[in-house]
Amino acid sequence: MLSNLGNILLFLNVIISLSIIYIANKNLKIIGVIEKNIFKLSLIQSTSIIICFFVLIAAFIVSDFSLIAVYQNSNSLKPLFYKITGTWGNHEGSLLLWVIILSIFSFLFLIYNKNHPKKFRLLTLIIQNILILGFLFFILFNSNPFSPISPVPLEGLGLNPILQDPALAIHPPLLYIGFVGSSIYFSAAIASLISNYSEKSFSFSIKNWVLISWCFQTLGILVGSIWAYYELGWGGFWFWDPVENASLLPWFAMTALFHSLIVFEKRNLFYFWVIILCLITFILSVTGTFLVRSGILNSVHTFATDPTRGIYILIFLSLMIFSSIFLLFKKYKKENYNLNGNSKETFILINNWFMMFYLITVMLGTIYPIFTDALTDNKISVGPPFYNAIIFPVIILFLIFMALGPKAKWIKNRFKNIKTYLLILAGAVSLNLTIIFFFKSYSLLSNFIIISALFLIMSSLRDLAKTFKEKKLDFARIISHTSFGCLVLFIGLNDIFSIEKDYNIKLGETKKFENYSIKLQNLDLKNYKNYQAVVGKLEIRNINSNQFNVLNPEIRIYDNPKTLTYEAAIKTNLLKDYYLTMSNIDRSDYYNIKFQKKPLMVWIWISVIMIVVGGFIRVLSNAKNN
Amino acid sequence: MKFNLFLFFFIFLSKFIMAAEKSADPNLIHKNLRCLVCQGQSISDSNSDFAQTIKLVVKDLIEEGKTEEEIYTFMTDKYGDWIVFKPQFNLQNSLLWILPYIALIFGGFFIFSFLKKRQ
Repeated sequence: MLSNLGNILLFLNVIISLSIIYIANKNLKIIGVIEKNIFKLSLIQSTSIIICFFVLIAAFIVSDFSLIAVYQNSNSLKPLFYKITGTWGNHEGSLLLWVIILSIFSFLFLIYNKNHPKKFRLLTLIIQNILILGFLFFILFNSNPFSPISPVPLEGLGLNPILQDPALAIHPPLLYIGFVGSSIYFSAAIASLISNYSEKSFSFSIKNWVLISWCFQTLGILVGSIWAYYELGWGGFWFWDPVENASLLPWFAMTALFHSLIVFEKRNLFYFWVIILCLITFILSVTGTFLVRSGILNSVHTFATDPTRGIYILIFLSLMIFSSIFLLFKKYKKENYNLNGNSKETFILINNWFMMFYLITVMLGTIYPIFTDALTDNKISVGPPFYNAIIFPVIILFLIFMALGPKAKWIKNRFKNIKTYLLILAGAVSLNLTIIFFFKSYSLLSNFIIISALFLIMSSLRDLAKTFKEKKLDFARIISHTSFGCLVLFIGLNDIFSIEKDYNIKLGETKKFENYSIKLQNLDLKNYKNYQAVVGKLEIRNINSNQFNVLNPEIRIYDNPKTLTYEAAIKTNLLKDYYLTMSNIDRSDYYNIKFQKKPLMVWIWISVIMIVVGGFIRVLSNAKNN
Repeated sequence: MKFNLFLFFFIFLSKFIMAAEKSADPNLIHKNLRCLVCQGQSISDSNSDFAQTIKLVVKDLIEEGKTEEEIYTFMTDKYGDWIVFKPQFNLQNSLLWILPYIALIFGGFFIFSFLKKRQ
């Protein structure tokens, strides 16, 4: 029953999309306002796709195993919360979420851009609906969440236990708003090219959408990292895994885009560059999906792969890329810039320069192994050491430009306060030396990174103090830039001051290192609804202060599907995290424990949240001004 | 006097800043080796038998006095390039290592070409 209802709604959406394209196309040729029916249809489209999604959620809640998607990804014993989140925790359901975001953004873009030319709005709508159709066909022919299975199984296979987690419940929706949200400025960019709408007012139509998708993309990446930190059990939060990279590539493009948009809006420059960035952001988002879903890349995320999906997405992607390039070449007009070397325009270009460098580096590292494998049959790994070696040295320069850029004036700038900057630099250097003096020394490269991060933070804070006096507050930028400096600083300090110890330990045994002792006090077997757990009780004592913490890492045995997972025990406070994982060693009564002390972890998360807060403040102030 | 002060300061700083020469750090090496039986994990992060074995091999190699690089060469000879997370710099990987910098330089020239030409 639910299967039929879902399929009917999907077909209904195909028809609605086709009618929107048809009516909008007819409306293009008529002078006057946009026809009322288009708004109505667009609203019906969003509503019906949301209802369609609710039907799928209902199927997961009542455990309707007549649907393959439910059978493969759910189980009647699973807690209700994870039954619901399981809806988008799989390939088919998440594609439906894609279409929802495509549709809602399409509708909102239509109603919020009343001041822009009719032709531009209608064309954006048409292109967005072509994208919607593309994904609807993909769902119907290849990845239908409503496909029935017969005979109906009695019980489902269950969701991979490491995905049964609150962070992972919200991770995909956040990331998708970022990924898929970029579709709307892809459509708008194409529409702008076709309708020759290249005035600077074009920037007003897309800038908030870029910022919104950027904010959600950042949050999505953050939640994914936090999940990786406490769930994967190795204590890191970023592994330069191909799938993580796939989420980072559009992020670089978006960041470059909303900086360029400032120049386009103020000085009417860089139109084609803005368009190119709009196009590649969404293209990179789809590429990321292609790489993840096709199983081409080896990664911790490859939980849903199937080569036929890859081929469909590849065709879709090629069509998008070729039509974008074709249109660009057709419409491209040479622009003369003649910028002043010392001006805000140049500084923003420098931001884009670095963003493109990061983008190219990360993209190269992600796809290079595919090429060596295909061409020479030699599989290579490109992991953290590669990215650290290439990216970190360049970050130093980037942070310094990031500190200087925002204060530069348009057209022609003069540095009046070189003395102040030198003072700030001296402050940063001495603060860095203080850290070394009181704690420990670190590599030359780390020194430079810490100093440049401090330089950025201190000069941003100085801007804050100054703007308070002048009452020209630019909170959004200051918060985001300061927080970015903090992010680099805390990641750096965290990396430098982390301690990691690995022991094989027996019940009742104590291990000592530096000024800590660890004792395995107790082991407990516990039964839960859908798993059993061996819970360890370990006491970490600081010998100097005689303070102690008890940590309870777990080894979990899940029933459906049968899997063994290791749950890290984490004690967080403002200064540091204690991080402990425990695993059994076959045929012995020893347990392997890994203890890590990770300073300032919380501040890494807070910094990213503050970066996003800056973004949202800018969205709100833009909305107020327009 | 000024020169001496400068020299003193320089030595003082370098003593803090320069990390001392260390023997190969097993934890670092573990992080740079892929666990071949896992999905995208290093042997440092994995609890598998394979990871445990490789950890023991690394320990033996360090005790034999092998340097970090020598250990990586040993591993790639045995298991192929797939096992190291830092691709070696050779002809096949040269583009991987060089292209980012070419992009950086190229971008710099690009921006430079937008700037006002002086008469």
